Amino acid sequence: MRPPTSTTIWRRGARRLQTSLRRPLSTSTAEDWDVVIVGGGPVGLALASALGSSQLVRERLRVALVEAGDLSKVHNWTPANGSFSNRASSLTLKSQTFLKDTRAWEYVDEERTCPIHNMQVWDGVSNARIDFAASLLASNPPENGMARMTENLNLQRGLLRHLDSIPVPIMDKTKVQLIDHANDSDCWPLVHLDNGRILRSRLLVGADGLNSPVRAFAKISSYGWAYDTQAIVATMEHPVMAPNTTAYQRFLPTGPIAFLPISPIASSLVWSTKPSLAAALIASGPLVLRSMINAAFRLPDVSMRYLNGLIIDAHASGIPATHIQIQSEISWRERSHGIQETSAYASAFVDTNKQGIPPTDSELLPPLVTSLQPGTVASFPLRFNHTDSYLGADQYSRTVLVGDAAHTVHPLAGQGLNLGLADVECLSRCIQNALLQGGDVGSHTALLPYAQERYLENHKVMSVMDKLHKLYSMSSEPVVWARSVGLEVVNELDSVKAALMMEASGKQGLTSMWDLAAKRSENFAAASNAATAIRTGISGFLGAGIQRVLKAAGTSLSDRK
Amino acid sequence: MHTILRRALHTTSTVNPAEIAHFSRLSSQWWDEAGEFSFLHRMNPVRMRFIREKLLEVAQDDQPTFNEPSSASLLKGLDVLDVGCGGGLLSESLARLGANTLGVDASGANISIAKLHAAQDPQLVQPESLSYLHTPAEALLASPKRYDVVCSMEVLEHVDNPPAFLDTCAQLVKPGGHLFLSTISRTPLAYFLTIFMAENVLRKVASGTHTHSKFVRPEELTAFFRSYPNAKLPWVAAGRGSPTRTQAEVRGLVYNPLKACWMLAPRDAWGAAECNYIFWVRKPAILEEQAAP
Repeated sequence: MRPPTSTTIWRRGARRLQTSLRRPLSTSTAEDWDVVIVGGGPVGLALASALGSSQLVRERLRVALVEAGDLSKVHNWTPANGSFSNRASSLTLKSQTFLKDTRAWEYVDEERTCPIHNMQVWDGVSNARIDFAASLLASNPPENGMARMTENLNLQRGLLRHLDSIPVPIMDKTKVQLIDHANDSDCWPLVHLDNGRILRSRLLVGADGLNSPVRAFAKISSYGWAYDTQAIVATMEHPVMAPNTTAYQRFLPTGPIAFLPISPIASSLVWSTKPSLAAALIASGPLVLRSMINAAFRLPDVSMRYLNGLIIDAHASGIPATHIQIQSEISWRERSHGIQETSAYASAFVDTNKQGIPPTDSELLPPLVTSLQPGTVASFPLRFNHTDSYLGADQYSRTVLVGDAAHTVHPLAGQGLNLGLADVECLSRCIQNALLQGGDVGSHTALLPYAQERYLENHKVMSVMDKLHKLYSMSSEPVVWARSVGLEVVNELDSVKAALMMEASGKQGLTSMWDLAAKRSENFAAASNAATAIRTGISGFLGAGIQRVLKAAGTSLSDRK
Repeated sequence: MHTILRRALHTTSTVNPAEIAHFSRLSSQWWDEAGEFSFLHRMNPVRMRFIREKLLEVAQDDQPTFNEPSSASLLKGLDVLDVGCGGGLLSESLARLGANTLGVDASGANISIAKLHAAQDPQLVQPESLSYLHTPAEALLASPKRYDVVCSMEVLEHVDNPPAFLDTCAQLVKPGGHLFLSTISRTPLAYFLTIFMAENVLRKVASGTHTHSKFVRPEELTAFFRSYPNAKLPWVAAGRGSPTRTQAEVRGLVYNPLKACWMLAPRDAWGAAECNYIFWVRKPAILEEQAAP
């Protein structure tokens, strides 16, 4: 949905409040609702579906969902075979378990999803590499993999279909005009809709995204920053991979590039990079972008830097780099790096009909992208945002935030939607607990366990993502050295792996996984500090640096036991 | 020992005027969940859980085939009295679970706040399962109405003449019905936590809320019901140690400051009832049958 900006809504809210103080706003026309969810994205719909799937909630609460957009488009989404939406998420086993428990997963087209069985992650500068197989996870049926790539639309459509079977009214194509309350002694939120209806809500849930109007109403402040990074997404086509169940991620100094399998013939791209480069890449057309994607997984960083510069300069001069130009440049660079034409690392010429024995090392790299599905190339800026609280206070009580309205995370491990679904699972559990004890589900008492459980958990995950982003953006030699040593020494269980693997086991030990990841990234930072010291000539630090890395590795390994 | 409860039962009113004035002053804060009564707000779900679980347990004992997994509708249709309801924290929860709830309080200010708050909530207005009355509990004895469940939470430590108060509550229970009380034990630990820390150091609770000498120990309550209404037909069978599970139960309520929540201690957890605790006793159904012929 496209809400009005937070300032306007607040200003309007304030004006309305002043008016209502003089002439008490009549609430006689207001309809009473117990839970009003604002926002029909995957998180809002998941909450509606989770609440609706509980018999207790159905008996006791009136739940409604308000969405500005037209959800019938999502409901009737019928993609052509073999074409995939550019917005896909890797749903962790925990998220899948939750969706299966609420029975929403039965309505998701599983044919269009793809399990991830293996993960290859490597440093773009040092080439230090870690790999991880889902089969190493005990107590997990191997066919489930460690996560499942699912188009957001597929999930959203599934949730809507699930909601058809349970009576949760969905008011779509309906904008929230303003949110206020009758007066200071009656602080139940009044949600004014553009069709004239007023919903008086026991609990108002903001599932309304980064610029959440509910958050603005509740006067919950948030802090954060924009990364100097833009994420390019696209659906990539490639020769049939049977099976296509390995995710690849290369950490380039400009940001990570990820190849995420969605079907045997298509995969999802998430390439985080500098905004100037992202703009230039998209402007240069799909053929150049395709070649650059292939190169970004293969060419040494020095060549990538050259190519990036070339594309940015050409874009700035008004004459975008041509495909032929980039192709010959890549080809020349491959030759100068000694990369054979038959090597897995060669990508200048993509032969779609290539048959025969795949070159050595081909399992270390994603398949060559042959084309990008038309209309799937898009980009968006990356942000880090966390609200100061998930609950409104004082006269703005009875409001709670979930998903992106509460937190926006760097997508380098694709955790945004998973965090949102974990919020929803927890909130719906707290609501049901409160109902069992006769509690008021809009009260601070009922919601406090939600805030306590999720705030720290989300913050931990977000901090790891943020630290990793910063760590891997550095290309200075000592940091890269520390990084490579770090990666290799702790190949068995390093922070990136922990981050990417998080919650793979589904239930137990998740917290420790994140604690470990957090600790690891701190140790990492310590190691890079030590490495910086080496460069300045304090040789004594060399030993200390190695010791720290080893010690860090030791702690991780002993933590693991 | 038991000096407090050994006093005569003949006083008519157990209401302490100074206590009523104290709570009337604070009445506007009853529903500020982060304020004066935040501890009570957080305690409420735990108290409700105990009530629900105990009723479920009794229902299953009486009728082994009883099957109500969520136990959310156990209170449906029961007549429930909340003595000393304050702002209505417990009364509202009881009413939401379907009990025909009457909340009474000796402070008129409290009753006004409770009514005002409940009027905002359509769940409580529509089925009219919740009503409030400004009256001391003793006045209810005049009417023949008796209750399936009588609750009096965090009240006992504020009344004059606890035995008379307990007698009133007990009389208001239907035969076979339940009496739930929660209060604070008279121990050094309770003094330290509820008065020294909560009122004087952390100032989370208004100074003067509690008086240590008025606290009641759980064994005093058990002993009271071992000879109530008389030694021949007591609610709790004579003996030493803990009463049997089907007659009475004491459970500690322990506050966890790190998680800012209350926990219901397991049955017979050592030392758990040294401060806050909740007490349940069941009125024998036999009394009525024997009295009838």
